[in-house]
Amino acid sequence: MLNFAPTEEQEEIRSLARSLAVEQLRPQGREAEQKGDISPELVQTLSQTGLTTPFSEELGGSGAIEAMTYTLIAEELGFGDGALAMNIIGSLMGPITVLLAGNESQQQEHIPPFCDPRNGYELRGSLAFVEHTGGYTVADIGMTARKDGDRFILNGAKRDVIHGWESGTRVVLLRLENTVETEGLCAFMLPAKLDGLQISADVQKLGLIAAPSVSYSLTDVAISAACMLGEPGNKGVIRAATLYNILRAGVACGMARAAFEYAMDYAKERIAFGRPIASYQGIAFMVSEMAMKLDAARLMLWRAASSWDRIDVGIPLAGILHPRDASRSPSLDNGSDASRSPWPELVRESESAQHQAVEIAKSATIDAVQIMGGAGFMQDHPVEMWMRNAAAME
Amino acid sequence: MIDFTLSKSQEESRDYAHQVALEEMRPISLECDRTESIPESFFWNMQRRFWAGAAGQARKQAQAEDEHQNNVFSILSQEEMAWGDAALSTAIPGPGLAAPPILSQGTPEQQMRFLGPYMDGQLHWGALALTEPGIGSDVAGMSTTAFMDGDEWVLNGHKHYITNGARSDIIVTFATIDKSLGREGIRPFVVPKGTPGFIVGRIEEKMGLRASQTAELIFEDCRIPKDNLLSGRESSKKAGFKAAMGTLDATRPMVGALAVGIARAAYETTREWVCEELPKGYAPHKRRQIEDELDELGQRIEMARFLVWRAAWLADRRISNSKEASMSKAYAGELVMKMTAAAVRITAPGENSERKQFIAKWFRDAKVFDIFEGTAQIQRLVIARRLFPELDIP
Repeated sequence: MLNFAPTEEQEEIRSLARSLAVEQLRPQGREAEQKGDISPELVQTLSQTGLTTPFSEELGGSGAIEAMTYTLIAEELGFGDGALAMNIIGSLMGPITVLLAGNESQQQEHIPPFCDPRNGYELRGSLAFVEHTGGYTVADIGMTARKDGDRFILNGAKRDVIHGWESGTRVVLLRLENTVETEGLCAFMLPAKLDGLQISADVQKLGLIAAPSVSYSLTDVAISAACMLGEPGNKGVIRAATLYNILRAGVACGMARAAFEYAMDYAKERIAFGRPIASYQGIAFMVSEMAMKLDAARLMLWRAASSWDRIDVGIPLAGILHPRDASRSPSLDNGSDASRSPWPELVRESESAQHQAVEIAKSATIDAVQIMGGAGFMQDHPVEMWMRNAAAME
Repeated sequence: MIDFTLSKSQEESRDYAHQVALEEMRPISLECDRTESIPESFFWNMQRRFWAGAAGQARKQAQAEDEHQNNVFSILSQEEMAWGDAALSTAIPGPGLAAPPILSQGTPEQQMRFLGPYMDGQLHWGALALTEPGIGSDVAGMSTTAFMDGDEWVLNGHKHYITNGARSDIIVTFATIDKSLGREGIRPFVVPKGTPGFIVGRIEEKMGLRASQTAELIFEDCRIPKDNLLSGRESSKKAGFKAAMGTLDATRPMVGALAVGIARAAYETTREWVCEELPKGYAPHKRRQIEDELDELGQRIEMARFLVWRAAWLADRRISNSKEASMSKAYAGELVMKMTAAAVRITAPGENSERKQFIAKWFRDAKVFDIFEGTAQIQRLVIARRLFPELDIP
């Protein structure tokens, strides 16, 4: 039944994430951009809270949580600083993909080290998703694997792989040759030494500079079949891809909210022609528009996250009427139709969520700079950095 | 817990409304629009479908099971009805817009007296009269007056743009008891049809929603019983203003739901047109452009729907929702215009077909959703005033 209120437990976790965002991420954002990475102290602090190890206790984690809960956390981290949030989530997606797609021994090998209270925070995972020929949609994944005896031959390229040079838990999403859409998707763990893998660091980035990233190029790279996570076509790969989009959308909503609140506070204080500029409709309406579009995007995101959790526990997706397929009458579209695969729908929902969230992150940060006028353009305030970060989410 | 699924009874009620829209509204939609009239048989069919017999019983039972879900039930049906025909949906027999102020401001006795007759199986309508030739959302300037003379209130003034004004059994009419009080002097009065001094003026001819009846109402020494003043809470100065505003908080999400319904109709029909009526020789890359544009608009339709759902859900939980109600109305009102305009543009190259006639009608219907119940600008003002409560935004 319709409900738009997080649970009490989710509220608690969210407020923990919010206080870390405000007290740690926000003040460190500019310095992290200058250094090009998160500070080790901050990662350590975060790992002590358990927010960066959302794995079951059997794997050494701080307790498994739902996608919805982590979506709320992602928004708070993005609210603190979008680039640091992407740094943290980019790393986390490595072990999370192993959890979702890998077999038990792969999970045992890769997840507990991340959760190690002594030095787990020093490890970085990565998930290579997006390519030079497309965006964050699984249909755009073009890197291929071809079976060749007991090994696979990989071909293709990846861009914006956050922490991609770290060799610990380095996962790439690709597809078996001659498959399309969600079919044939698979994930491979790239070993530390892999002949033919070319890595080039992304330099002079526009934004998300505090989330260091690389590009991969693979030409006829032979890799052991044992490096594949789980089985080919296993749904865990789709779950990882959709979760990445959901969490990216969470960060983007947080970026938008940061810009919105910052601009709002500025507009209350800044006086022009004897009044706070927020009291002029020209400014007030811009702020209203931001608030409205942010709420719209966040609801889109929450729907995707709740669908992810439902599919995770084997419940069919939300039975709401959506206008995707005009030929389907709404009485049939109630989610109880077991013959219809829910996976393409989850992919669509998560990709819509990430698309809309990045849109509002871009427009809200651009508008925040506008509301602040000249001050917005200067680096004394963080909004120009946020504007670059949001644009770099594409 | 955040949840975007509908309960069984919500789904059933929505599907029932869809069936009615499909069977009773679509077949007569174009004809009613052309002739600016509605056949009597439609009213009786609606009466039978929604109030009488087993259907009415089932609906009442469903609603009783989901106590405090009135607003959600209502917006779910409204979307379907507007998908059928928004003009016809405003003409469905029932108390209509008269109900919210009676329910929120009427004593139990008044609720019984004014709303009881609607259950008698005959055709009845209700209306709300707020707008005047000189005032819209700024109710402080209202010029319709009410004064006490003996045991009666005497109303004088001029209202216009009143939906169902000429056919309603009761009209909840807002009037000021003291102009010097501004908006605090406004009170809601129930004026029964046929009261001497209550005169129906012209019926407006409109660009869209042509089958909906929009009337001018004139009050000339119109005398109504003392206890037709809603509430008996006359001593509370804010009662009247609150009734007006409270009504809007409840009705704006419904207007939003109607807008979503029209937008969805245009979206689905355009998709069908692309599949079935796209002219031969149409360039494939242009077709892909159309499909991309429709994907984007489809996502916005979903976001508009979620904003509407959230506003209604808040209202059901008796949580203040002015900001969210305005967001839902503003977002959906703008979207429906964009969607229908895109539909006209996309289908322009084709032969004149029934689909194109529907699209042209929806395009004409759409504009008013960014106007009535507060224009797009008024909604942004409401949002801004909630975001900046400490500021005076004129």
